Amino acid sequence: MGTTVVVGTTFGVVARQSGLDPLAIAAMSVFVFAGASQFAMVQLFSDRAPTAIVIASVLFINLRHLLMATSLRARLQALPLLGRLVAAFFLTDESFAMATGHFRRGGRSLAYYFMFAVSLYVLWNLATLTGIAIGGALGDPRRYGVDFAITATFTGIVVLAIRRRADIVIALVAAIIAGLLALAGASTVAVITAGALAPLIAVFVRR
Amino acid sequence: MIWLAILGSALATYLVRSLPFAVTFRGHLPAAASRYLEALPVAIIAALVGPAVVAPGGTLTRGSEPLAAALVIAVVAWRRSLLAGVIAGVVAVALLRLI
Repeated sequence: MGTTVVVGTTFGVVARQSGLDPLAIAAMSVFVFAGASQFAMVQLFSDRAPTAIVIASVLFINLRHLLMATSLRARLQALPLLGRLVAAFFLTDESFAMATGHFRRGGRSLAYYFMFAVSLYVLWNLATLTGIAIGGALGDPRRYGVDFAITATFTGIVVLAIRRRADIVIALVAAIIAGLLALAGASTVAVITAGALAPLIAVFVRR
Repeated sequence: MIWLAILGSALATYLVRSLPFAVTFRGHLPAAASRYLEALPVAIIAALVGPAVVAPGGTLTRGSEPLAAALVIAVVAWRRSLLAGVIAGVVAVALLRLI
């Protein structure tokens, strides 16, 4: 939960510093509610990426939720369809990790999942609003290096997500391809192209 | 435009979160597809770092950003803290730009 507050506030600050409309920033946390993709959206908006590229990038980043939802499906089967559809909205990396731990320990209570997941949602949105306020008060971002915060956040997220050696190779290959494409002037398609190509390495590498 | 992108992103995100709950399908994803999907987030986020480090704001870096990114990697790998890494990176880039 601490992570949610810190990352949510950081999101509000960097989004505000990038010059986005505060209402649009708040709307991202209310409707999209997905940490890494919201940071990616801020980056892509400031690169003036076309709408379709923004949406496709977000879709790609969140495709992993297909796997998470699939693994939780059996546990939520007791709920009516409407309940499952509501539960799906609150599915994040953090609520998935919590739910998996909870069910593995033999827990059965779905109310526990909902309470945790909805608290994360509320905290995420409050943190975003706090960040918007702080970001607005900071002034010129370049002077303090705040414009680099989003890049630093992505770099940190990648480091924390590394589980095995192949992940390091995939991350480096993705960063290098995207960097080269951006240097070549293809910056709008750089991220999605590199992001879609590099995971092919995982297909050919056995654990 | 930005609102359309937010709406579309919200729908795309909800789609992948809800699809397995809404429809029942039999069988499993092929192992190769699972491995591809698992590697995707790291690849996309790393792909966002590449351009931002070599050409921040669209112009070739003078070296501050790659150095600061290397520091972020070291700090996060060492402390396992995202916040510590971001603070170190922001301070480093601000100082390096003064040189």
